[in-house]
Amino acid sequence: MSTLPLDPLLLAIATPLGLAALIALGLPKRLVTKLAYLGFGGPALCALWAWWNFAAAPKEGHGYAFLTRYPTGLDGFGVSLELGLNGLSLPLFVLAGLVGLAAGLYALQSTAERMKSYLLLLLVMQAGLMGTFASVDVFFFYFFHELALIPTFIMVGIWGGRDRTYAAMTMTIYLTAGAMLSLLGLIAIYVKSGATSFDLLTLRDTLAARPILEVTQQHIFGVLLFGFGVLVSLWPLHSWAPLGYGAAPSSAAMLHAGVLKKFGLYGLVQIALPLLPLGALHWDRRLALLAGVGNVLVIGFVTLAQRDLKQMVGYSSVMHMGYAFLGLAAGVTFGVGAVVMLMVAHGLSVALLFLLSTSVYHRTHTFNLEQMGGLAPAAPMLATLFLAATFASIGLPGFANFWGEVPIFVALWHFSPGLAAVAVSGTVISAVYGLRAVARVFFGPRSPGFSEVAAAHPPADLTWGEKVPALILVAALVFIGLWPRSLSAGIDAALAPAPAPLTAALAASR
Amino acid sequence: MDAVNTALFCLLVPLASAALILLFLRRAGGAAAALSTLAATAVAAAALDLAFSGARGHASWEWIRFGSFAISIGVRFDDLAALMLGIVGVVGLCVHVFSLGYMHEDPARPRYFGGLSIFMCSMIGIVLADNLFMMFMFWELVGFSSYFLISHWHERLSASDAAKKAFITNRVGDFGFMLGIILCYWKNGTVDLAELQAHAGAGHLVYSRAIPLLLFCGAVGKSAQLPLQVWLPDAMEGPTPVSALIHAATMVAAGIFMLCRIQVLMVPPALTVISWVGTLTAVYAALCAVTQRDIKKVLAYSTLSQLGYMVAAFGLGSSAAAMFHLTTHAFFKALLFLGSGAVIHACHHEQDIFRMGGLRTKIPVTFWTFTIGVAAIVGLPGLAGFFSKDAILVLAYGHSPAIFAVLALTAVLTAFYMLRLWKLVFLGAPRSEAAGHAHEGGITLTAPLLLLAALAVVGGYWAQVYPAGLRNVFAALPEAEGATHTIIFGTSLLVLILGAGSALAFYASGPEDTLETRAPAVFSFLTALRTSFDAAYDTYVAKVQQRVALALNFLDVIALGGGVIRGLCAGTVEMAGFWVRTLHTGRISTYVYWFLGGVAVLWAFAAGVL
Repeated sequence: MSTLPLDPLLLAIATPLGLAALIALGLPKRLVTKLAYLGFGGPALCALWAWWNFAAAPKEGHGYAFLTRYPTGLDGFGVSLELGLNGLSLPLFVLAGLVGLAAGLYALQSTAERMKSYLLLLLVMQAGLMGTFASVDVFFFYFFHELALIPTFIMVGIWGGRDRTYAAMTMTIYLTAGAMLSLLGLIAIYVKSGATSFDLLTLRDTLAARPILEVTQQHIFGVLLFGFGVLVSLWPLHSWAPLGYGAAPSSAAMLHAGVLKKFGLYGLVQIALPLLPLGALHWDRRLALLAGVGNVLVIGFVTLAQRDLKQMVGYSSVMHMGYAFLGLAAGVTFGVGAVVMLMVAHGLSVALLFLLSTSVYHRTHTFNLEQMGGLAPAAPMLATLFLAATFASIGLPGFANFWGEVPIFVALWHFSPGLAAVAVSGTVISAVYGLRAVARVFFGPRSPGFSEVAAAHPPADLTWGEKVPALILVAALVFIGLWPRSLSAGIDAALAPAPAPLTAALAASR
Repeated sequence: MDAVNTALFCLLVPLASAALILLFLRRAGGAAAALSTLAATAVAAAALDLAFSGARGHASWEWIRFGSFAISIGVRFDDLAALMLGIVGVVGLCVHVFSLGYMHEDPARPRYFGGLSIFMCSMIGIVLADNLFMMFMFWELVGFSSYFLISHWHERLSASDAAKKAFITNRVGDFGFMLGIILCYWKNGTVDLAELQAHAGAGHLVYSRAIPLLLFCGAVGKSAQLPLQVWLPDAMEGPTPVSALIHAATMVAAGIFMLCRIQVLMVPPALTVISWVGTLTAVYAALCAVTQRDIKKVLAYSTLSQLGYMVAAFGLGSSAAAMFHLTTHAFFKALLFLGSGAVIHACHHEQDIFRMGGLRTKIPVTFWTFTIGVAAIVGLPGLAGFFSKDAILVLAYGHSPAIFAVLALTAVLTAFYMLRLWKLVFLGAPRSEAAGHAHEGGITLTAPLLLLAALAVVGGYWAQVYPAGLRNVFAALPEAEGATHTIIFGTSLLVLILGAGSALAFYASGPEDTLETRAPAVFSFLTALRTSFDAAYDTYVAKVQQRVALALNFLDVIALGGGVIRGLCAGTVEMAGFWVRTLHTGRISTYVYWFLGGVAVLWAFAAGVL
């Protein structure tokens, strides 16, 4: 019900998609590189518009604002393109807009071969991401995810680094399997709910009136948990992540690790938890154990052993997803709210780390941490931003990540003090590998290997093309870090009505 | 302006200064230095105004809320906060002014002064915090500024390592601190200091041993108590004014301040643990200080030792005595560190005390102010350190003879290593070219020394010197006037004469450590004692942590990624493929049978047989 002549949510999807179609039709390269700014900037502007107007916008069912329904011709199957945002999807919509813009700008300044195809795929990915988080219809929620996922495989396969074919294949197999499993779960909800629509609002109303049998909920939640779990690199189904991110070109890694990966968590928070609260209760202990011991502790130590900067960032992102799962498992309202906060914060910070790691690579000609050192004097701006990104990702107050981690720790203690201790010990592990990487790359004397490289190609500081996307991400991290209410108020409002059956069930089961 | 607004002004001015330097003055060293110093001046003025006017206040704003859980940012400006803010303001200003001269030649001045401003903001945040979550936030930020400033000369591997070590060691302590805050939240439903106080007043505060001990972990990290003391000596890699401000006067004292803030949660068993941790740190660090050659490292170990006194005083039940020693220590230790900075500056960055000597006449202002600092720390009657140390000794004497004995021994050692330092640096003949050509620094170096020296002289007369509001903090001192307890006074004098006299008599003004040449066994024992913790941690990192990490990495890549997931999944698919392939025989007759079978199944399904 937007008062604007054009629905900004639709615009956010249509702009990159339309431009991608034009490129496919043979738009000349000169125009492509100009129009691409519009293609990446448009969604970001739409996202900021939604962020700015969300609090004041009139809310419809379940706290959704900006609801609009578009006919698709599939209404007979209960499928329609329905766009809208609630307090849980707004943060991710904003995340997708900002990271998309940063990834797009970074791609535009890169020297990728076949630039037109590269931008085409990135734009399709961007359209898919905006669509996923703006969709109220479960069918399109899934459809847009696939739209964003498939370009990832192609980009890794064509523009990837070392072992790109193997990495692309592994990613494809894992993620397709995960996506199919989640599709199975989503269809099961649809079938078992007895609703005649994939519309999430209808599904919620139907299931609130007549919940699915507890044992069925448990089965469906299990399918969704592991389906989505693969997509979010739940231990031990995470092996695709460090491999894939290690090989992926930087913009694809930024968009995938930063935004697309959050699809699974978002699905659990937005769909699985409210629709299957009893199923969630059945799985919470097991999920917490896998995430706490597997993702946080085991992967934390594995991250310590990494010598490759990009692999290390990849593993650290697997580790931090453990916190998100723990927050989900903890089940108390504020744990789930904090998960959404952490998704945004982690998305911004990991995208920033992938971006800066690539910029480091352009100066050191290696990702091997042992062959770097002493880069800070030559590239002070790069060092400052990398330091900021590292401290953001290890949860320093003042950056958004802190507001995700701390409420999760608090919620977790109520659930299991032992797991809370494990999770908090993760902050020490993160500090060890994060600061070690900063020291190895930027501080101390130059390693012999880097001295040779630097003699041949004297390293310079960040160019504006690299600086601007990085600054966008840092600014977002700091803004949310200083003013968390800008997101948390909406999240809190969206979660407030949901936990009533959940808390009742919690009280009954414990 | 009321107290809360003025306090917020103190918090935000350094933040604004840091932000401006980061955004606009990254290449303008002079402007950055001026802006940061101006901010520090404003903070000092506002802090003194608050201290003397007696204005107090409390305000709080909700910062984030998820359901029932909220974190707020607030200002709790009481007498304790006023005292601490005053210390941070005055010492901060002295260090800023000193840095103007000391860091004048440094090419990275904007980064340095920006870091100082970030530190001032973070530290003031701890002082003003009205709840434990907010304190934790600024606590972490203080850790970050410490990291940032220690690594100022990051081209040196040692500085880079020291910064990393400082932050990680603090994080280990904060692990406990965070869990303590969470436990307190779940047990009491709040972490707001005023509400906890109110709960205690109403008699329904939940006491437990775990809460205070976990919170104490934070203090163990930040105030560098055993066994997390290892980071502080290494932190001397940072510029000397930073050592004076952060690693002597304010940040490391934040642990003691935090303990005073959460005193209401304390239970006797926890206090016993705290008092012994402090006592053992005091004597351990004093023993370590005896063998140091680096002027800053001697002072670093002495800081550890004095922090141990404060922690012990708190553990013995007197936060007044702990805060009193914190106050006097902030003055005389900042003086000693800045004095050592002046010495290092005069000797062209020579830090080895065995390569100094004869500086008494070369740099007279530094000599006399440093001498006042030494007199204050060893507890010469009449100076600041005498009163505060006496208060702690009286306290220990009344509570635990064992702690009293250890602390008295520590006092002997303190006098011993401080006089050793003083004699080697200032007396005798110059033992290096740099020491021979030493000359006094400018007014920016000497003015802070003179101010701090004055405070080190009068800082102990709290009843006469301090404004009325701050006196409330010290009202519960075990020995209000000093020197009234004959046994303690006698002990103090004896201890002083014993320690100082033996050091003056024993050490010769030569290039060799007299202890090393005369008593090598004692020397190597003390050295081993000093390095034992680092050795143990290094062994853990290299032999345990790294091996576990490598083993898990191997399992993750080979066993899990390659074996289980790929083997199981790919294997199943392969098997299925193999089985399905056998169906493709290529003979028409086989396919006809399959077709007939399929038709039968379909018919059965449609007819409802299946």
